[in-house]
Amino acid sequence: MNEKQINQLKEIVGPERVITDIEDKICFGYDSTRLEYMPDAIVRVNDALQISNIMKFSNENRIPVTPRGAATGLSGGCLAVNGGISLLMVEMNKILDVNTVDLLAEVEAGTITVDVDKAANKHGLFYPPDPGSLKTSTIGGNIAENAGGLRGLKYGVTKDYVNMLELVLPTGEIIKVGTKTVKSVSGYNIVDLMVGSEGTLGIITKAVLGLLPAPADRASMLVTFADMTHAAKTVRDIVEAGVITATLEFIDNVTINAIEDYLKIGLDRTIGAMLLIEVDGQKGAVDIEADIVKKECEKNNALSFKLAASDEERNKLWSARRAALSSLARIRPSTILEDATVPRSRIVELVEAVNNIAKKYSLQIGTFGHAGDGNLHPTILTDLRDKEEETRVEKAIEEIFVETIKLDGTLSGEHGIGITKAKFLKLEISEDTYRLMKNIKKTFDPNNILNPGKLFVS
Amino acid sequence: MPEQMITKQKKEKKQDGARVFSKGDDLYACSRCGTCLSICPVYKNTLDEGVSPRGKLSLIEAVSNEKIGYTSKLSDKVYTCTMCNYCTKECPSGVKIDELFKSARQDLVDDKKYPDILDLLKEKIRKAYNVTFDTNQGRLDWLKQIPGIEVSEYLKETAEVVYFVGCVSSFSPRSFAIPRAITGIFKQSGVDFTLLGEDEWCCGFPLLSSGMADQVKDFALHNIQTVESKGAKILVTSCPSCFNTWAHEYGELTGKKIPFEIMHVSQFLAKLIEEKKIKLGPVNAKVTYHDPCDLGRNSGIFEEPRKVIKSIPGVDFVELPAKGLQANCCGGGGNLESLNPELAAKIAEGKADEIYSTGAEIAVSTCQQCERTMNNAIRKKKNESGTKVKVADLSELVLQSMESAGSGQGR
Repeated sequence: MNEKQINQLKEIVGPERVITDIEDKICFGYDSTRLEYMPDAIVRVNDALQISNIMKFSNENRIPVTPRGAATGLSGGCLAVNGGISLLMVEMNKILDVNTVDLLAEVEAGTITVDVDKAANKHGLFYPPDPGSLKTSTIGGNIAENAGGLRGLKYGVTKDYVNMLELVLPTGEIIKVGTKTVKSVSGYNIVDLMVGSEGTLGIITKAVLGLLPAPADRASMLVTFADMTHAAKTVRDIVEAGVITATLEFIDNVTINAIEDYLKIGLDRTIGAMLLIEVDGQKGAVDIEADIVKKECEKNNALSFKLAASDEERNKLWSARRAALSSLARIRPSTILEDATVPRSRIVELVEAVNNIAKKYSLQIGTFGHAGDGNLHPTILTDLRDKEEETRVEKAIEEIFVETIKLDGTLSGEHGIGITKAKFLKLEISEDTYRLMKNIKKTFDPNNILNPGKLFVS
Repeated sequence: MPEQMITKQKKEKKQDGARVFSKGDDLYACSRCGTCLSICPVYKNTLDEGVSPRGKLSLIEAVSNEKIGYTSKLSDKVYTCTMCNYCTKECPSGVKIDELFKSARQDLVDDKKYPDILDLLKEKIRKAYNVTFDTNQGRLDWLKQIPGIEVSEYLKETAEVVYFVGCVSSFSPRSFAIPRAITGIFKQSGVDFTLLGEDEWCCGFPLLSSGMADQVKDFALHNIQTVESKGAKILVTSCPSCFNTWAHEYGELTGKKIPFEIMHVSQFLAKLIEEKKIKLGPVNAKVTYHDPCDLGRNSGIFEEPRKVIKSIPGVDFVELPAKGLQANCCGGGGNLESLNPELAAKIAEGKADEIYSTGAEIAVSTCQQCERTMNNAIRKKKNESGTKVKVADLSELVLQSMESAGSGQGR
């Protein structure tokens, strides 16, 4: 952007909202991918009309605009890869309404995920999507990336809880899509198109989100197995036995060892895999389901089975899973967290493939994740400053993706394509689908000014 | 539109080992995950990435990569910090954020890019041996003002215990109640103690936290030698930052093993109570406790203050929503209050809300600075529930309990 454009921008939103110092540009140039691209200007917005005016100006002047929430994304979604304006959404953080009859919450896009849940909790309700960064991430970012979390198997992901959106289109119009009703067939489902669109089609300014009654009871279980095969068989058997668990988390041997190195909580380092299982629901029903889970675990030769008797014990059981990523992250300077996802019937094959790839390229890869919904997190421990190692990492990532697709899987379960996976997108989708997607983008954003450089290889 | 990409390649280390330039690996360990944004009091009250721990680290890394130099804008951001250290304790990647910030401040001082106000602070401390403009002769004004007091009884040649009062409690009239309560308790329970009077020099914490460690060594040596000369076995501080400095900095600064035990007064009071040297009477009130960052998170002292409070009959003890390692800063930490008073006050308001949410009538802490900050916030911020909240130092609560034992009445 040139000086004249910066000054025009200042006239539109007020000079105090436009930041161009190099120190700030550095701080608004990264996200959790740790890639760095500096915007030309940061604009702190707090209302849809303001954004509309910015978009009209930017569209006219062909200035790229990239919305930014809390920058906890793992695919580069909020990075201003072509410079231009970084649109900072965090000040739009008001919870406007919690409706306990319609089970809906109306919030501004910059609201922190956990704050939505807390507001719901006050009325005996909860907001089910629980991505790992929920204490920092914003709802707008969650919707843009279709964020998942630990409760996917039973409760689904962000897309299952977005009823209505207020959007600013790249050409400046402010529109509302979706309804507050459970059912609606009025035209194309733009809400679902927006969810997971990675901030490339419109800027989300407000959302009406679905809530559920908080479960009255839950049971948490920690189960260990000699090998991955038995753990994965257990996951299938639990589902086949008719129990849809709230969480069904898995930790592999590499990760178990990393956790033990870090926390020293007496985990058996020879364990092949660990499952953390939680069932929730009405009192009584929970006990019945926990019994079924226990039987299936025993049938599959579980080495140990622990059922938490109290909240305190539950916390203890969870400590290993909670520490999984931190424990891995401490081993090497760089941590690359992938989110390859396969149907749950193919988990063993994916874990084996990842282990073989790790061996082939002499890399440390720990895998943990959401076994219940087939969303695994192969986590590569490396040092990207080492160019030779970086090359091996790149090859390994590509191979993980190829294997994932072979197993009927998807490149990204919950992080998005962004810039990190853009070059692999055609592994999963056909040339025709790719073109359709590009045409959709063009319909919304004829001048390609909204979050350019994402999803598609330019 | 020009594409700008900051290289993440680390450049060759600079020659000087003390500088942040040599911390490349530690800086690189930050994964930018954003966990710190959810807990940093400064970020949460500004929503400004540039003052978040993640943002500050990225700026320091940019300096280390020679992307930018140390600028005054960068300096402002780095110093906008309460040094509560919550980020360091919670960082999933184990980045030693506190150490990196400290060495960045040291660099900023070397490069003369620090806030002007710190020069004033340095001048005061170096010239007067305390953080005020008063001469150090005023160290015992809080004592001398008590009618009928015999000062010499408090300044002994030798004693088992030295009470290191600290600058704020010595010079700020609003904090006089703390040393008065502590010396009162010590007298009544027969502790053989002395004060240091004008031989007590500032512990150096304000300079250390500003990045001026080189200005503190002679202060450390003086203070250690003075306490040693009293033949003391125990040094007691009431200020958690003095405690932190004595317990965790003086050894390294002077290269000496400190030949006496260092205790915070909350630990000492817990010991007196355990040894039944204090008779406690009822205080019928709902009481909560705020963990000062330098006592709790940074020194690991969580249990003793609670033990003392709970041992007082009649007390209905309630925890704050966030406590222990997860306690929120009151806003008064670091030098934030002098550099950005509005922000410090805003953080403190959050603390007032936390206190109100418990329904407590007395908010106890173990730090004169936290108590002052909390008091200011409570005065400004309305309590919707209508409960009147009093802020008290742990020692004041204990003294109140002892007085109630003497008179045989609660409250």
